[in-house]
Amino acid sequence: MTNHVLLNNIEHKDLKINTDRTQEMGDNVWFAQTFPMEFRNVQAHYPILLQKDPNTGRFMLVALFGFENDDNLFLSNGKWDASYIPFAIQRMPFYIGFQNIENNGATDKQRVITLDVDSPKVNKNKGADLFLAHGGNSDYLENIAIILETLHEGIQQSRSFISALVSFDLIEAVTLDIELNDNSKHQLVGFYTINEDNLNALSNDNYLALQKAGFIESIYMIIASQMNIHDLVARKNAKLFS
Amino acid sequence: MKYEIKNIVIIGGGTAGWITAGLLAAKHTKKSSSSLTLAINITVVESPNISPIGVGEGTWPSMRETLKTIGIDEVDLFLHCDASFKQASKFMHWETSPNKKNINDVKNDKSAYYHPFSLPVNNFCVGSLIGEQRSSNTDHQEYAQQWNQTFADQVCYQSILAEKNLAPKLITNKAYDYIANYGYHFDASKFSELLKNHCINKLNVKHVLSHITAVHNDDNNNIAYVVTDTQRNIYGDLFIDCSGAQSLLLGKHYKIPFCSKENILFNNTALAVQMPYKNSDDSIASCTHSTAQTAGWIWDIGLQTRRGIGHVYSSQYTTDSAAEDELYQYIERLSLADRADISVRKLSFTPGYYEKFWHQNCVAVGMSAGFIEPLEASALAMIEQAAQMISDQLPATTKTMAITAKRFNDKFIQHWQQIIEFLKLHYVLSKRDDSPYWLDNRSESSIPESLQNMLELWKYQAPSKYDIPQASPLFPAASYQYVLYGMNFETKTNRYTEEDALIDFVLKDVQNKRQKLVQVLEPNRMLINKIKQYGLAKI
Repeated sequence: MTNHVLLNNIEHKDLKINTDRTQEMGDNVWFAQTFPMEFRNVQAHYPILLQKDPNTGRFMLVALFGFENDDNLFLSNGKWDASYIPFAIQRMPFYIGFQNIENNGATDKQRVITLDVDSPKVNKNKGADLFLAHGGNSDYLENIAIILETLHEGIQQSRSFISALVSFDLIEAVTLDIELNDNSKHQLVGFYTINEDNLNALSNDNYLALQKAGFIESIYMIIASQMNIHDLVARKNAKLFS
Repeated sequence: MKYEIKNIVIIGGGTAGWITAGLLAAKHTKKSSSSLTLAINITVVESPNISPIGVGEGTWPSMRETLKTIGIDEVDLFLHCDASFKQASKFMHWETSPNKKNINDVKNDKSAYYHPFSLPVNNFCVGSLIGEQRSSNTDHQEYAQQWNQTFADQVCYQSILAEKNLAPKLITNKAYDYIANYGYHFDASKFSELLKNHCINKLNVKHVLSHITAVHNDDNNNIAYVVTDTQRNIYGDLFIDCSGAQSLLLGKHYKIPFCSKENILFNNTALAVQMPYKNSDDSIASCTHSTAQTAGWIWDIGLQTRRGIGHVYSSQYTTDSAAEDELYQYIERLSLADRADISVRKLSFTPGYYEKFWHQNCVAVGMSAGFIEPLEASALAMIEQAAQMISDQLPATTKTMAITAKRFNDKFIQHWQQIIEFLKLHYVLSKRDDSPYWLDNRSESSIPESLQNMLELWKYQAPSKYDIPQASPLFPAASYQYVLYGMNFETKTNRYTEEDALIDFVLKDVQNKRQKLVQVLEPNRMLINKIKQYGLAKI
């Protein structure tokens, strides 16, 4: 369970964040949300797919780390075996909260950093400090703040990107059929990708509209990222016979 | 081409008129201007003086395919038609009359049973085996007792979803896709309005608002044109009579005889009310409730903002005031309203259908073809079937029309006969003896011979495909099984088949699926709210 509290340098001055990447630290997830702004980094390592949010049925973009729940193929010896970790993972265990701020009589909603104090990453002995001795933010926390801010923008950007994909009919369901070296067959359903036929059939006007919105690059990165499925399969096979 | 059918005129703009227009237009009107495509003109003539009757608030699963074909966005049903999901019909007090103790306790009516939209698991063979074995003294009866389960609970995963007011799908399922087969409950006049706007704006259907004052034939006794009070005469090659109970063309103009079936199905009057929920977030039932009364039954249909409740009964066996009283009691038991605040609308009808439905260049769809009590919500399904066949089999020329007409008539006579027999089955199986109405319903003279024959057979073998002559029947054998064994009919068989060995496995599978789905699916209202907020993906 999670327990989100507003981060502050008094209550939380002694806290550290364990930066190990392990099952115990809650990193054994098989996908995480991603967004076009980090696609360049993400597509270098992970397949980018679409999935439906179980609560709203709306599409979201995800980077895939494995083929089933609790099977993150990038975790190895307390490390994450890739040079880029998606922001949605890096930001753990911090979240964006909203606080009402009185401003000249009007109430503004302001974004604030909250911390899941029940996360196994939070401790007093090991890992990155949150605050400096005199109470200022550590470099680690400054970086987290930037990540959260980028994530916030990224999610907004994802929404317009996805609604463009939907309106141009550029999403199609995809079933991933995986065959492993032990001859076991696995099928992943519930994922979606770019409908390349419809992409290639776009009218000039529609193509231009996507390009002007900066979405063409993102679309091709999703397509290119599919090759990383082979890498995932290789990792899975390596794990099977290790 | 001479005698070509180019202009189709639909008389009447209720659900029948607009479903027919929508299906025809979706299939036959091509948007491209290529000279190769046969474009037909569809005109709907709607009388401004007549308000739609607005019955038929329950649909079958077939409505999903119909709406998909017409091109309606499923989300619009929930946004604009007060729609909710329907997964089954639940019948209460049909087998036995309530005693004073349980009259207020409709929920725990032991004789209640479901007719769900999903077929028995695997196929209806399982239904047959279970139906037969429930009645015989075998191990499987222990299953039934162990779970205290009805037939539908044993063979189908869906009844529990309806019992718990759950939705039949997830927000992540695309539009019209399902986990458990479903149709809808909706506000029929709002539905009609949605179809009308779609037909006019998207499908290029012409809409004429005027009253028809006369009908003129040509020399061949075909309808040449109708005279309207506001506009020019409207000419057509095919006229579709969707004028409702008045049956303007088929009944009034062509004077085709009407076959009353009141000797089989006694009900001829309905009292309808609309009841808002007590609280706007009250749960919405995902099945139609049908509760038997002294001389009829009460329907109860949950929409988003209100419940549609009505008493349909036989004026031969009860008075309007007694029927009204039973309706009030039903509503008061639910604490929905005090009787002083209820406004009741009365409808009278003669159950039955016209001798034929397609005559010359005129075909009737909807109430202009016939009307029967809504016990299995067949009205809209019949409209869909008729409109679909007209659309699929649309004669290219008036030369071949008579052939198509005959096929249409044969098919729909069969449909009407099947509906009437299937509805009658609900009454015949009752053990109620609290009024002459129920006793007379079981008198041999009121039961069609073919139904009598089937009932005789079913004493020794379960309903199967061999009981149903049609290629695409309205009610499959499974429906007969649900009603028959829902009402604890006994089929005594001494046959054993290979499938017997698999039964335990299959039954356990049903139970697992029931448990799983109950955990995964959300309440009917919650999913409807989500759909209104987030929409449904088309992929």
